This record gives sequence, C-alpha cells and structure tokens, in this order.
Amino acid sequence: MNIQVLSDVNFGEELPVFDPDTGIENVRRFCKAANWMGPRFTDHEAAKKEGLPGALVPGIMSQGFLAAMIHRWAPTGNIKHIDTVFRAPVIVDEHYHIKGVVTDIDEDSGQVEIDLTVVNDAGETRVFGTATVVLLQSA
Amino acid sequence: MILDLHAHSIKSDDGRAKVSNYVQWIKTRGLPIDGFVLTEHRQFDFESDYSDMARESGLVILKGSEVETEYGHVLVFGVTESLTQSLDFTNIRLALKDVLKAADDHGAIAIPCHPGRPRVGMAAHIETYGIPAGVGIVETFNGGSRENEDEIAQVMASAQGYRGIGGSDAHIVSHIGRCATRFEDSIRNETELVISLRSGRFEAITYRNAAA
Repeated sequence: MNIQVLSDVNFGEELPVFDPDTGIENVRRFCKAANWMGPRFTDHEAAKKEGLPGALVPGIMSQGFLAAMIHRWAPTGNIKHIDTVFRAPVIVDEHYHIKGVVTDIDEDSGQVEIDLTVVNDAGETRVFGTATVVLLQSA
Repeated sequence: MILDLHAHSIKSDDGRAKVSNYVQWIKTRGLPIDGFVLTEHRQFDFESDYSDMARESGLVILKGSEVETEYGHVLVFGVTESLTQSLDFTNIRLALKDVLKAADDHGAIAIPCHPGRPRVGMAAHIETYGIPAGVGIVETFNGGSRENEDEIAQVMASAQGYRGIGGSDAHIVSHIGRCATRFEDSIRNETELVISLRSGRFEAITYRNAAA
C-alpha cells in the first residue's frame, strides 16, 4: 500500500523490502551516469588490487536505492534527510536487501523517522541509518 | 531479568536512536527484555535522566560507557564521577590495564566488547600484546557482529575461561534487544548491575535469529 498522508502510517510499520540490482553492469551504468568513475567500483580485480574484497557499490548509489525505496512506499513524501553509517562494504554482484521501518512519528511536524538497513543474505547489516520524511497531514 | 547491555543513543556520534523510541519499540514489539544500558562512545552521559521514562515504561534504563583501548573497545558499567576524573574517557588510546584497574578501584567493571571484530576487538590484538591480565568477562553475543565475529569471541572466552555477556550494540531503534544478558538477580541500578556481573550469575543470549 502506498502512503499518502501521515495518518496512514503506524509506528513500527515496515516498508516493503527492496532487493537492489547490484550487478556489475548496473553499477557501471550508474557510475557513467553519475560521472563517478573508478576501477574500485567497476572492476573486481582492480578493487582487489586496492585491498578491497571486490568492487564496491558506490555509497551514493546505495543512498539512491534507499531514497527509491522510501518513495515507492510514500510517493508524495518529502525526504528531508538520509543519514547512513557504512559499517562494511557493499560489494558488487552480491545480494542485498534494503529494509525500512518507522520508528518515530511526529504528528505536529508531519515527520516520520525511518530506520534503514542494507542487509546481506547472511543477515549481516552492512549499512544502517535513518531517514526523515515529511508527509502530508491530510489529503 | 534480561538486559541489553550495549546500546547507543543520539548522544553517541554514530548513534541515531532516541531513548524514548527504544522504549516505544520494546513495548510495542513486545521484546522479551526488561531494560537496556546506554553505553555511549568515549563519554559518560551525566546530564540525561531517564528515571521518569523508566518508571512509566516499567523498563530498567541504565547508563554505562564504551571506551577505546589498545585491545579495542571496552564497556564500562558502574561509572561514577570519580572514575571519569581518574580516566580520560575521550582518550582513544587508553591502556586496557588502566581501564580495568580504574574500574575496579571505583566500584565499576570493565568488559571488552565485540572481541571478535577486526581492529576494534580484543582478539585482533592478542598476537601483538598478548593475553591481557585482569579480564574476566567479554561480550560473546553482539548484535552488530558479522561473519564469525561472535564465534571468535566465544572460542576465546572458552579458551581463557571468560564469562560472556550479550548486547545489541544498537545504534538505531529497531536494533535494540537483538542480543542481551540474562541475570539470575533482579537489577534496578548500576550498582546492582556491577554486583551481578561480578557474581558471575548471568549468561549471554541472542535473539538475532528470531529478529531475522
């Protein structure tokens, strides 16, 4: 269900899980479009030569995935703030699940706080953060 | 009694959770914990008073700290003003032996946390510095652990005869209570927490599989 107004939202509500396409071709397309090129993002072997476990999904791409998930859930929501802490690298060609859950609702300001996590298949949190989203208070 | 012994609020530089939202989360989700300890990074939060929130919610909300040593990060419970005067909590290069001694001298207790974690965990530094004297307890379940970090902690604890505690290491609301510690005693304040930890009457528990 899409969220339109603040009263649609409940504390603890989980956003639909989003499994992003972190395949190498998608990452290369993103890097080209964002002019954010670098072998550490687009080439596993080059990344390993830098001491990384593999090519990295750029942080700005991960943040884009987070914003996309929020807007799918609340298309008219105004994302005021996304704040992420990268605890471990997000590796190209590995599977991740982006999760969100509502952890605060401010009726006065129309703002909701969302916990965000990027989790791998093993259930490990690679990235966590929060988003502040402003929703319409009435239709 | 079950307490999550390792949580961070917005008082920590990388914490994103308000304490009131931890409480709301625990109550609305019906988490099987009786409270939690706020262990803010490199500081002790003297100014916040959560006693009203604790009373209204029926949860135990205590305060501790997480400091940094050459062996990685260390939780300190039972922090007093005199302890913070004798130990610079903001120093990221504290000596573990100094933390252990200062804690002991001031009625507190120091416990290495996420010891299986690279760089900031105790196991990663044993080859360089040797087995530290004076450690009796380590965190064997940490809610933020990846790969085999908890296993490394448990193997080390077993080999060295350490007792284990559990904590979520929550930095966001929805991570509270992922791991915790079950105590035989009832605990109402930091002094009773230290007594119970020194008694050894506790065990580390995890709810991570249930949460996943």
